[in-house]
Amino acid sequence: MTSAQPDLVKGLSAEETTRFMALGVSTGLASGQTLFRLGTEADKAYLVVRGRIALTLPIQIRGAEEEVLVEEKVPGETVGWSGLVPPHRFTLNATAAITSELLAFSRAVVLDHFAAHPGVGHAVTRNLAAVIGHRLQVFQTMWLREMQRAVDHRYA
Amino acid sequence: MVMFATILIMSLLAVAVCAAAFAAATRDEASRQPQPERRLAVAPPRFFADPAARPAGGSLVPVEVLLSQIERHVRLEQAAAEDYLDVPTPDALHSRTTSPFLN
Repeated sequence: MTSAQPDLVKGLSAEETTRFMALGVSTGLASGQTLFRLGTEADKAYLVVRGRIALTLPIQIRGAEEEVLVEEKVPGETVGWSGLVPPHRFTLNATAAITSELLAFSRAVVLDHFAAHPGVGHAVTRNLAAVIGHRLQVFQTMWLREMQRAVDHRYA
Repeated sequence: MVMFATILIMSLLAVAVCAAAFAAATRDEASRQPQPERRLAVAPPRFFADPAARPAGGSLVPVEVLLSQIERHVRLEQAAAEDYLDVPTPDALHSRTTSPFLN
């Protein structure tokens, strides 16, 4: 992982960070191995420790389904926040772009920890909101740029 | 009297020839003009893509090349979106792209 604090634990003290990170279960993925599939039930969120995770969506090209890269996650970044946010269904496919290592945080374990340590729960939830909000803003901007091109193309 | 009748007949003949020539000329011009109403009625309404704008050789691009172009396009668009979010201005929002997928 990078020397910077992982995005999920920003603002936590060193002791709180250590306790929270100890909840994660180390998970290794070979290059090309699937972490989760679109539409499946999500009961874990992940933190990338090493490697690179590709988030993709299916697209139809000449009648065949192909995977298109939507986003990549690198060490220190959170993947699969659907595991912590209702309705707990993954909305993307995630695969390891290269050999990767992650920490898997079970929803049940994390929520128990939040109940015992509300301050940590508040900080982690804020960090999660920042991750989700950033994704929303990036894709909102990308969508508007495409809309502008459609307008230019169709009505200029 | 004969001279008057001759002039009258010649005048009527000239008017008839001119009228026929004018009718022929205007009919040719009308048939050459485009008929926009008919074309508009034929074109189906589309939003994102105009089939007429598709490159002629588009179907010849291998899928791997197309996927590579889409991937590069997504990366460039994300970078442009991140730049916009750093400093939100209308110019940054609609900055030009060098993506080969669109150029």
